[in-house]
Amino acid sequence: MSMMRLPAALAVAALLAVGAAACGGDSDDDGATATQAAAGATTGGEGGGAGGPVSIVASVPPTDHGWLGAISKNAQAAADEFDDVDFRLLEAADADSQAQQIEQVISDRPDALVVLPQDGAALTPVAQRAEAAGIPVVNVDRLFTAPDAATATILGDNYQIGVLAADYIARRLDCRGNVVEIQGLAGISVTEERTRGFVDELRKACPDGGIDIVARQPGDFNPDTGLRVMETILQAQDRIDAVYTHDDDMAQGVVQAIRNAGRDDEMFLTGVGGSQDAMEQIKEGGLYEATFLYNPNMAASAVNMARLIALGEGFPELVPPEVPRQIIVPAATVTSENVEQYEQYAFN
Amino acid sequence: MTTSPASGPGTAAAPPSGGGRARRLSGVRLQEYALVLVVIALFVAGSILKPDSFPTWDNVRNMLTQASVVGVLAIGMTFVIATAGIDLSVGSMVAAAGMFGGVLVDPEGSTLLFVFGALAFATALGSINAIAVAYGRVVPFIATLAMFSIARGIALLLNDKLPVGLLELNGGSFGDPAPFSLMWFGTGRILGIPVSVYVFLGVVVAGWLVLNRTRYGRYVVAVGGNREAARIAGVPVRRTILSVYVLSGLLAGVAAVLLCARLGSASPVSGNLYELDAIGAVVIGGTSLAGGRATIVGTFLGVLTFALIFSLMTQLDLSTEVQQVVKGAIVLGAVLIQRPEARL
Amino acid sequence: MAPVLEVRGLVKEYPGVKALKGVDFAVERGEVHCLLGPNGAGKSTLIKCVSGAVAPTAGEILLDGDPLPVGDPSASLRRGVATIYQELDLVDELTVAQSVFLAHEPRRGPFLDLERMRRDAAALLARLGHEAIDPRTKVRELRPAAQQVVSIARALSHDVRLLIMDEPSAILDDGEIETLFGVVRRLTADGVSVVYISHRLDEIRRIGDRVTVLTDGRTAATDLPAATPTDELVELMVGRAVEQLYPERPHASGEVVLDVRGVRRLPSVRAVSLQVRAGEVVGLGGLVGSGRTELLRLIYGLDAPQAGEVRVGGRRLPPGRPDRAIAAGLGLAPEDRKSQGLLLDWSLTKNVSLADLGRFERGLLSVRAERAAAREQLQRLRTVPADAERAVRELSGGNQQKVVLARWLLRSCRVLLLDEPTRGVDVATKAELYRVIGDLAAAGVAVLVVSSELGELVGICSRILVMREGETVFEVDGERASERELLRHAVAPTETADLIEEVT
Repeated sequence: MSMMRLPAALAVAALLAVGAAACGGDSDDDGATATQAAAGATTGGEGGGAGGPVSIVASVPPTDHGWLGAISKNAQAAADEFDDVDFRLLEAADADSQAQQIEQVISDRPDALVVLPQDGAALTPVAQRAEAAGIPVVNVDRLFTAPDAATATILGDNYQIGVLAADYIARRLDCRGNVVEIQGLAGISVTEERTRGFVDELRKACPDGGIDIVARQPGDFNPDTGLRVMETILQAQDRIDAVYTHDDDMAQGVVQAIRNAGRDDEMFLTGVGGSQDAMEQIKEGGLYEATFLYNPNMAASAVNMARLIALGEGFPELVPPEVPRQIIVPAATVTSENVEQYEQYAFN
Repeated sequence: MTTSPASGPGTAAAPPSGGGRARRLSGVRLQEYALVLVVIALFVAGSILKPDSFPTWDNVRNMLTQASVVGVLAIGMTFVIATAGIDLSVGSMVAAAGMFGGVLVDPEGSTLLFVFGALAFATALGSINAIAVAYGRVVPFIATLAMFSIARGIALLLNDKLPVGLLELNGGSFGDPAPFSLMWFGTGRILGIPVSVYVFLGVVVAGWLVLNRTRYGRYVVAVGGNREAARIAGVPVRRTILSVYVLSGLLAGVAAVLLCARLGSASPVSGNLYELDAIGAVVIGGTSLAGGRATIVGTFLGVLTFALIFSLMTQLDLSTEVQQVVKGAIVLGAVLIQRPEARL
Repeated sequence: MAPVLEVRGLVKEYPGVKALKGVDFAVERGEVHCLLGPNGAGKSTLIKCVSGAVAPTAGEILLDGDPLPVGDPSASLRRGVATIYQELDLVDELTVAQSVFLAHEPRRGPFLDLERMRRDAAALLARLGHEAIDPRTKVRELRPAAQQVVSIARALSHDVRLLIMDEPSAILDDGEIETLFGVVRRLTADGVSVVYISHRLDEIRRIGDRVTVLTDGRTAATDLPAATPTDELVELMVGRAVEQLYPERPHASGEVVLDVRGVRRLPSVRAVSLQVRAGEVVGLGGLVGSGRTELLRLIYGLDAPQAGEVRVGGRRLPPGRPDRAIAAGLGLAPEDRKSQGLLLDWSLTKNVSLADLGRFERGLLSVRAERAAAREQLQRLRTVPADAERAVRELSGGNQQKVVLARWLLRSCRVLLLDEPTRGVDVATKAELYRVIGDLAAAGVAVLVVSSELGELVGICSRILVMREGETVFEVDGERASERELLRHAVAPTETADLIEEVT
C-alpha cells in the first residue's frame, strides 16, 4: 500500500466506522449487520426504483483457516440480508485456479465482483480484465498491484497490527528483552506489512533500543509449522521474553511448543485475528496475553459496497456520497482487560 | 529413438567395474555412506555456527522428535516407491486421520479411542489407494493425487474446518502426562528419550527387517524392479502392490498420532506438503523412483538430513528466501555426490 | 583400392578391464564379413568403437583409408556406418515411415514432409524387396523379421556404406532368416559392405564371404574363408576342441507329468494337447508367431486359456495363476531373459532365490542360508562369475540364462518350460546348457523346450512337436528328426508368410 494514500484512507475508514457504530447502536444484532443496517437504510430511503436484483460473485481462497472461514461466512450473511442480491461464493484452491474461476465469472457478466485474492499480484491481471469488461471489482484484504484493477478496496490495516503489537510488547517489556516473531506466509503483503509496522513502531517506542528480535521465521499460518519452528527456536534461544505471532490459529502450535518445553513462565505471546480460542486463553490469563483484532467483518462491508456500486448508489452520509475508493478497517488491541467487549467479534 | 548403446547388444561384455566385491560394497551402500557424510557435515556446520545450542543433547532430541512424523511417513513411502509407485496423499491422510480421531474423542473419549480411530481411518484411506492402484489399475500418481484431495477435504469436513483440542488426553496433569496417554506420545520420555523417537526408531528397525529380511520385503522390491519377471517367479504381484498402499496409510495414521500428540490438537490443515518431504527423504536416501532398489537406512539418513537442514537454518534465523536456496542446494548436492547410477 | 573398413591395433580399456587388447581386421567393398567370438570376446565393444558410441583407447579405424573421428556417432553415421542391434531398437508406437526417418525427418519449411517420408520409406523397403510393408503401419504390428527390415531401411536412409549387424538372426526363425539373407544379398550387390555377427555357425557358410574370429579382446584369426569347417571355427573361438555339442539323448522313462489338454486362447493358440513324461525332453519347433511362446504362457498360468486344462502329476492347475503353477512344480525360463526372467540390478543370489524364498524363512530370512543355497546351484551350472553378489546385469547372456535355470534347480521343479534357452549364447556355453538340460531330464524332470534353432531341437530332444498357426501339426521322434523336415512342416502350406501380424 502506498504511504501517500494512507492518511486519506484512514480518514474515510474512521468516518465509516463512526457511521457504523452509530447505526450499530440501534441494531439488535452484531457489528456485521450494523454496517448493513446503514447501507440498508440508504436503499430503503431511495426505494426500489433502482432496478432489479443485482448479481454479486465473491471469490475467496480456500476457507480452511479460521479467519478466512469467517470471511466467507460474513460475506454470505451480508448477502442474505438483502432481497435484491443474487449472491454466489466461490472458493479456489490456489492463485491459478482462482484466476481461471474469475475468468469464467467474467463471461457470466455479474453486476459486481468481490475478490479476496490468494495472491494480489497474481490476480491483478484478471481483475483488470473484469474492470475492463465493465464489472466493478471490490478488492478485499490482499491488495491488487495496479490501481485500475478495483473500483473499491477494503482492507484491514496490517501495518497498524504490527504497530499495535510493538506498542503492547514494548510497554509490557519496558523496552528490554528478547522477542521472537513467528510470521505468516512468507512473501505476501499481509506478512510484510505486519512485520514492517512492528519493526517501525518498536524503533519509535524504544528509541534507545533494548528490544532484540532474536528470531523471525515464517509459520505459514499453519499450527503444525508454527509448532516445528518454535520448537527449533526454543533450542537456539535460552531467553525469550515475548513472542509476536501473526495469526491466532498458528499461534496454537507455537503455544504448544512453548508448553511442551515447559517454558511458559518465561515468556508471553500475542496473536492476530481474534479467534475464539485466542480470546478464551486471554481471558484465562497466562502465556497468551493479547491478540490484535483483524476483523473479518470487512467481507460483509465489501458485499455492501459491491451492491451499492452495482445499484449506482452511495453513502449519503459522506461528501461526496459515492462509495469511497478505499476503506481501511482499523485494528484493535484485545487483552484480558477488554476481552469481554470484543468477544462478540470472535470467530472460530 | 535408439536405445542407449549400453542396453543395446545382448552380447555386451560386462560393463567395466572394479572387481566384484568392491562393487558390491559400492552398491547401495556407498550411497548410504555418502549421505552419512552429508549428515555429519551438516552437524559439524551446526556445531561451528551455533556452538552453544546446536551440538547439545537437547537439540539432538528435538531434531529426532521433529523428524519422527515425516520419518514414519518416509518409511511407508520407501515401500511404495520400491514398487515403482508413489503416494502423494500421506500429508492429507495425516490431517484426516488426526481429525477423525479428534472428532471421535470430542468432547469425551480416551487415548485408546483416538489412536485406534486415527490408525483405522488412515488405513481405510490407504486401502482405497491400494484398491484403486492394484485392482482399478489407476496410475499411482493419479490415484493418490485424488486421495490427496479427498483426504484433505474429509479433514476439513469432519469438524467444519475447525481444529479439535486434545489437551484433555493427558491422563493426568499437563506437563507430566501419564504413560500411554496421548500427550505422552508427544512429550513423554523414557530414559530421557522422547516416546515419539522410540516410535520412529521402532518403525525404522521394523521397516528394515521387513524390507531386507522377509519374503514379503523381497517381493516388494521385485515387483518394482521387474513386474513381469516377478510374476514369472511366482510373486503375488497384485497383493504386494495392494499391501504397500495399505501400509503407507497405516503409517500415516501413526504419524498423525505423533503429530497430534505434540500439537495438543488435531488440525485440518496439518500435514501440508509432508508428502514432498517424505518423498524427498526417500529419494536422496537412494531408493529409486523407478522402483527395484530401496534402502531403509538411506531413507533414515534422508530424513535426518532434512531435519538437520531445517533445524540449522531456523536456528541461524536465515530468511525464508535464503533458506529455500540453501535447502535446495544441499539436497541437490547430496544427490550429486552419490554415485551416478543413483540419480535416475 | 583401400578396404571400406580397416581396423588396426584397436585397444579399449575401461577402468579395471581391458575389453580390446589389439584387434586388426579389414572389410572389403560388397562383402559380408562375419565376426565370430564367444561372449565377452569384445565383439560388442569393437562395433561400438566403429559406430562411434565409445572412443577407443588406442589404435586406428580407417574408412576408405581415411581415419574415422573417434567417439562421434554422428560422424560415423555421416561417413556411412550404420549399426543394427540384436535387440530391436524401434519405437513401437511409431509408423514404419516415422521409424525409418526418426531424427532426420524430411521437412518442408518448419513442417514434416509426411508425403515424402512415406514415399521415400516405401522406396527403401522396395529396394530391400519388401514392398508389402506399408509405411503407415505401426511398428508394433509387425513381426520381428519385418521390424528388422525396417531397421535396415532406416540404416539405408542414411546412405549407408558399411552396415554392422549384431546378431540379427537371434530373434528370427529359420523362415525369416531366409528373408534377412535375401535383404543382405541385395545390399552387397549394391556395393554395401556388411559386418555380420552371429553365434549360429551354420549361417556363416550360407551368407558370409570371409570370417574374423575374436577371442579375449584379440584377433584370433582373420581372412578365413566362409567355408572353413565348423569344428575349426569352434576350436578357434573356445581355444580348444568342443568334443561333443550335444549330450546323450534322454529317453522317456517315467509317467506323464505334464498333461496339456486342448488349451486354446485365440488367436495364437487353438486347441493344443501334449504330454511330457518324466525324464523326457520335448522340443517345440515352429516359426516365430506360430503360438509356441503363447502356449508356454498358458501352461504356466501367465495367461488364462479360453478352453482346455493343464494337469501336473494328474492335478489340474488353476488357470492364470503362475504362483500355483510354481507350487505344483513348474518352472519357466522365458524367451526374453532381460525383460521377463531377471531383475537385472539384483545380485545373482537374489535372482536365484526369488521363487523359493519360503525355504529360507524362519520368521526372518536367513541370508546366509540363501547365499549358500544359491551358490551351490550356480556352481553346479558353472556360472561365471563365481561371486554371487554381483549384479546380473553385468553377466553375459549365457550366464544370465544359467541364473534363470539355477532358480528352478533350487526349487527342484518337476516340469521345466524353456523358451529359446540358447538365444544369444555362444557355442561353448550352448554345449553346457545342453548338458544341463540332459542332466535334468536324467534326474527325472520333464522338459519342454521352445526353439527357433531347429538344429538344436534335433540334437537334444527325445521328441519334437512342430507348431503352425496355433496348432501342433507334426510330431517326430528325436532320433529320426531332420531339420529339413521340421522346417517343411513349420512353413507349409503357405510359403508366402505374411510378415504383418494380425493384431488382436
